[in-house]
Amino acid sequence: MMHLTMEQLLAVRHAGSEPGSAESQAHVQVCPECAAELDRLHQRVARLRALPTLRPPRDRFAAVAARVRHDRRQLYFRRTGIGALALAASLLLAVVGRDLMAPPAANASDQLTTVMAESATLEQALRQIRSSQQVTDAYTTRAAASLEDRIAELDHELESAQMQTSPATRSELLPLWRERVGLMDALVDVHLTRAHNVGL
Amino acid sequence: MTKALAVDSYLAGDAESVVARVRVGDPAALEILYRAYEAPVFNLARRICRTVEDAEDVLQETFFEVYRSIGQYRGDGPLWGWVRRVASSKALMRLRRNKYRDTDELFDEAHAVRREDTPLRMDLEAALERLPETSRAVVWLHDVEGYTHEEIAEMMDRTPSFSKSQLSRAHAKLRAWLGEEALT
Ligand SMILES: [Zn+2]
Repeated sequence: MMHLTMEQLLAVRHAGSEPGSAESQAHVQVCPECAAELDRLHQRVARLRALPTLRPPRDRFAAVAARVRHDRRQLYFRRTGIGALALAASLLLAVVGRDLMAPPAANASDQLTTVMAESATLEQALRQIRSSQQVTDAYTTRAAASLEDRIAELDHELESAQMQTSPATRSELLPLWRERVGLMDALVDVHLTRAHNVGL
Repeated sequence: MTKALAVDSYLAGDAESVVARVRVGDPAALEILYRAYEAPVFNLARRICRTVEDAEDVLQETFFEVYRSIGQYRGDGPLWGWVRRVASSKALMRLRRNKYRDTDELFDEAHAVRREDTPLRMDLEAALERLPETSRAVVWLHDVEGYTHEEIAEMMDRTPSFSKSQLSRAHAKLRAWLGEEALT
């Protein structure tokens, strides 16, 4: 007597919908070996289902949120025809992703140049966004105002620091510029969240 | 499926309003979805993918896709079913991307040297881990997540009979590795 193959045993599980499964089922009824094998199969599946749920080792939501923000910006830039800012969108990811990805190895002066360029691009993006938004709600105004205050403060700090620093040691200003980019980034977000919610 | 029920009851009653908020781009709502489903999504990805890093990427890609495609969720089935489908597709996409690693020849070659070290009876986790990627994905999607061969075939861009033969290969291997003893 030929015993059932694994494929035939599997088909017995869905008897009725699988072709030839009626014969296999009849065989299982008279063959203790295949009956035992089918039993093992059922138990194996039961044990697979009972395996513990593996949990992620790290929280990845921040990375998801960063990508969502980046995506929203690109969409907004595309819809409002701020084509010149396609570059800004890619720079923004660098800003947003900074804490999430290892920063590229670059010397301090290169980094400063990059951060200053990011700052300028964000500045331009903000100008465009502001000019395309006719009405601003109270929430946006309030949230934007506090960020703008801090940026103004920071600009003051940067100005006096720049006067005291020689060009060779300008990379010492990197943390200040970074903070500025971070604030500008948040400001863009404040405006865009509102734009998204009113369906722009 | 009991697992699905447990997961959906997590958002019970609230699912509709959370989905509506994700649709208008509310990040807090997306986070609610993330917290509700991160464990089952990661588990599915981890059972299918070879490494933790791949599974983490699948987790991230799944929720980004959920945010982007939530408009396609019609609310006609459980939300978890829809999220799970997104996660399964992302995990399978990851497998395809790593495909060069997934031929039985390569797999067997890589393990041939260590074969003598293989204990006579492996535990189920180890045996599952040892399956070739495609077989493992099929056995997990079919036997644990409850997808039909037709659904798996659609997700994998293969035929149902491909899915069936992968499933029986997986079971033949598990059967051999887990040994003769009755499983408790
Ligand atoms: Zn038999």
